[in-house]
Amino acid sequence: MAHRTLTSSFPLTLSDRLVAGLAALLVGSFLIYGAGLSHAQTLHDTAHDTRHSYGFPCH
Amino acid sequence: MIARMLLAVIAAGLIAGVLMTGVQQARLVPLIEHAEIYENGGHDAASMQTPGGLHLVTPAYAHSGEAHGHDGSNTRLFGVDRYAGSIMANLVVGAGYALLLAAVVLLTGNTITARTGVLWGAGAWLAVHLLPAFGLPPELPAMPAADLTARQIWWLSTVAASGAGIYLMAMRPEGWAKALGVVLVAAPQIVGAPQPPTHESPVPAGLAAAFAASALATTLFFWLVLGGLMGLFTERFATEEASARAS
Repeated sequence: MAHRTLTSSFPLTLSDRLVAGLAALLVGSFLIYGAGLSHAQTLHDTAHDTRHSYGFPCH
Repeated sequence: MIARMLLAVIAAGLIAGVLMTGVQQARLVPLIEHAEIYENGGHDAASMQTPGGLHLVTPAYAHSGEAHGHDGSNTRLFGVDRYAGSIMANLVVGAGYALLLAAVVLLTGNTITARTGVLWGAGAWLAVHLLPAFGLPPELPAMPAADLTARQIWWLSTVAASGAGIYLMAMRPEGWAKALGVVLVAAPQIVGAPQPPTHESPVPAGLAAAFAASALATTLFFWLVLGGLMGLFTERFATEEASARAS
């Protein structure tokens, strides 16, 4: 599966795909943690309406 | 090339975040502001609003249980107002969810196009919003809730298990994969989300129901836009790369 040729989107080699995927996973998790889950008061207050709107557990 | 492709992914997320802001302000924020009147037993209703209905202190601040903001201090990042805070948060959530969806597509060896992107978005909405909503429906301020950390752990586990389960059911042909998918989707619901001792709430039930339904509808909109745009952008990117290589 990993070696099949990808002619449509994400035309990457296996190693590129791993690097890009892991980078996306790391940065994406960091962003979602900060906006949606962090208990820091400042982050909570800034993202308050967004947290409720997206159904993140809040308060 | 990796950086350029991830930028295309982030661009899709930012656009979805901007569009979400409009829908959110129109359909959800009025309900949140309405519910905040009932916070602290409704005692703050008078002090929080001017005759024109403008909030003197930010309800986000007031409901934190601190000094109700009578000193007028702003506890948001960079001291921005409530609306700007929501825009910032929506951009961050848009980029964040875009990157996470791209990570799943990349690490599972799949591709995404404008057409399949909408389906990827719908699948993500099921995992991130609809299935967790069985245990923890999108809630308004002033509604009773169990311990925050316990709910966050259940929510994260449910999103991860549901996502894996939906992927196995939708993308793998094997019988065992589909069976495992069913188990993964059902397990968090059988365990059950942390619930408050009582669901008694000062927030009217109709308001809570309207909010839960609207929150699910607007997030579905967000994910369909996000998935579709991500597919569109990466498809175009791939076409350019292919023609560059051919020439």
